[in-house]
Amino acid sequence: MAAARQAKPLKQKLSRFVDHFRNDWQIYLMLLPTIIWMIVFLYKPMYGLQIAFKDYSIFRGVAASPWVGFEHFQTLFSNDQFLRAIKNTIIISALNLLFGFPAPIILALMFNEILHATYKRTAQTIVYLPHFISTVIIAGIVTTAFSPTAGVVNTMIGWFGLDSIYFLTKPEWFRPIFVSTGIWQEAGFGSIVFLAAIAGVNPSLYESAVVDGASRWQMMWRITIPSIMPTIIIMLIIRIGNIMEVSFELIILLYQPATWSTADVVNTFVYRQGLESGQYDVAAAAGLFNAVVAFVLVMTANTLSRRYSRTSLW
Amino acid sequence: MSNVILQHIVKRYDEIEVVHGIDLTIAPKEFVVLVGPSGCGKSTTLRMIAGLEEISDGELQIDDRVVNRVAPKDRDVAMVFQNYALYPHLNVAENIAFGLRIRKESKEHIAKSVSEVGEILGLTPYLQRRPADLSGGQRQRVAMGRAIVRRPKVFLFDEPLSNLDAKLRTQMRAEIKRLHKRLGATSVYVTHDQVEAMTLADRIVVMNDGRIEQVGSPMDLFMNPANTFVAGFIGSPPMNQLNGVVEVTSDGLQANVSGITFELLESTQVEPGQAVVVGIRPEHLSLHASEHSSTIPISLDLVETLGSEALLHATVGEVPIIIKVETHGNIDHLHNVKEVFAPMNLVKLFDMQSGLAIDRKTVA
Repeated sequence: MAAARQAKPLKQKLSRFVDHFRNDWQIYLMLLPTIIWMIVFLYKPMYGLQIAFKDYSIFRGVAASPWVGFEHFQTLFSNDQFLRAIKNTIIISALNLLFGFPAPIILALMFNEILHATYKRTAQTIVYLPHFISTVIIAGIVTTAFSPTAGVVNTMIGWFGLDSIYFLTKPEWFRPIFVSTGIWQEAGFGSIVFLAAIAGVNPSLYESAVVDGASRWQMMWRITIPSIMPTIIIMLIIRIGNIMEVSFELIILLYQPATWSTADVVNTFVYRQGLESGQYDVAAAAGLFNAVVAFVLVMTANTLSRRYSRTSLW
Repeated sequence: MSNVILQHIVKRYDEIEVVHGIDLTIAPKEFVVLVGPSGCGKSTTLRMIAGLEEISDGELQIDDRVVNRVAPKDRDVAMVFQNYALYPHLNVAENIAFGLRIRKESKEHIAKSVSEVGEILGLTPYLQRRPADLSGGQRQRVAMGRAIVRRPKVFLFDEPLSNLDAKLRTQMRAEIKRLHKRLGATSVYVTHDQVEAMTLADRIVVMNDGRIEQVGSPMDLFMNPANTFVAGFIGSPPMNQLNGVVEVTSDGLQANVSGITFELLESTQVEPGQAVVVGIRPEHLSLHASEHSSTIPISLDLVETLGSEALLHATVGEVPIIIKVETHGNIDHLHNVKEVFAPMNLVKLFDMQSGLAIDRKTVA
């Protein structure tokens, strides 16, 4: 009986889906490439995740390699380099969050205050541009700019009669350089989503505030920021979900053994373990750990946000 | 209380002039309604008074002070917007208090004012709610609360009721009227709804195409429209307009509308042969002949029943005409109406070319 009762709604749901599909098949067709992409690049590789719990050898293949339980995780957590990579990931991500997250919001608020249309458009284009430059070239620019001999930074330091610093070999300089490069590259592009949110604010809210006597500063604090708060929170949740994913290519391109102590993150560690040392199983375990932490973080952030601000990603 | 004086106010956007020199004096405590079709410049005029639009030319005075270059906040006006303009992230009390907080009033003063306003508008039970949790009527009341809490010199209303359904609109209209009686503040109200204009206004300003067509009390506009535009805009349904020619016959001066004659007083300022528009309000047409009335033969198309009244849609020759009659609970006899009567003293005459009324005051 119970099963029959359950079966009916399911059947109804199915037939409703079929109806939808028949009416709007073009939309589902457009969705198809993304679904295929996700299956091929995100779901199928999940099959390989099991090697995190196996003594994997390329010759035996994924299925035939023997199970070893949590051995690789034990190896990892007794490895100082891995622990250091976790610590570095968290520190760099925290700095990114602290400085990199507000940057596009501030930029968007500033753009919003520019009244001259041409000036605004030009300024926006200029700050969007770095986003479209390949990471390799960005790393090249950074390396050149901070070079001890010809770099613009050291040249300027020289004007004050100070000795030049070989920034990229100094562990204490890596994080500031990395984080500010990230801001320079992405803040402009990241501001688009906040500008769109600001554009969506009902203009009569501002007019009403003008009549009430609010200054532009007050309008920004009391209208613009609260109005775009839902967008800010959604972006923050996404950001927290990606906290373990620091820009891997840029680190690979900028770090060197001298700066590993502050620059080596989980992803670069996985890369070295997996591809350079051929320990695929240990690398998979490290990657899986990363993913689990990210999953927990995004779930927590979303739940908290839903509870306290009625805004959530899902 | 303050007056508002507009002297030859012009609004230009680049080369396009949308308001062509408006002159209007609004007395202290007066409730003035700007009414007109969309795009007639009424909202633009209101926004210029508020300071949200720059005045391209002319002079605006509030309380005998020229305010052309004065910031909106220093004009001491409050505005109620069509879409309420409530802050979604603030509750009702905070929304009402917004203007006071911006002006850094004391906490005690703010609390007292908010609770007073909540009391006046019946919002006390909702003070802690967010706008999203309120009905349309309640939101509109909060918007008014935000305006009255500051006790401004002048209230400006920009179509505040057009987002409400018909029933609520009638209710809020009465509330605005009561509120104005209670507070007695100078008010300028913009609407495209002539019923709102008629019911609320001390004086109505009818605007069309960036110009003022007529200013007057609701009854004055109804009885003595200055031109065919006002005749067609004020009143629901609008005044019937029939084209005719002035003739001199043995019976005296007449307006001839394709064979139907309308007697004119000898003193009427018209020339024989002048093309005129004969205007007669639907409610002034009668099913019964009286001593001085013209007989209008009609062919009836449709009877619209409104309950106590009915609208007869008919044609005179080719021209559509509407007659509003009382039903007295029965509409059967209305389907056989063949002719209606226009009392001579209620017929209006307009010059066809200029559209202007040919002077003949009708006293209500």
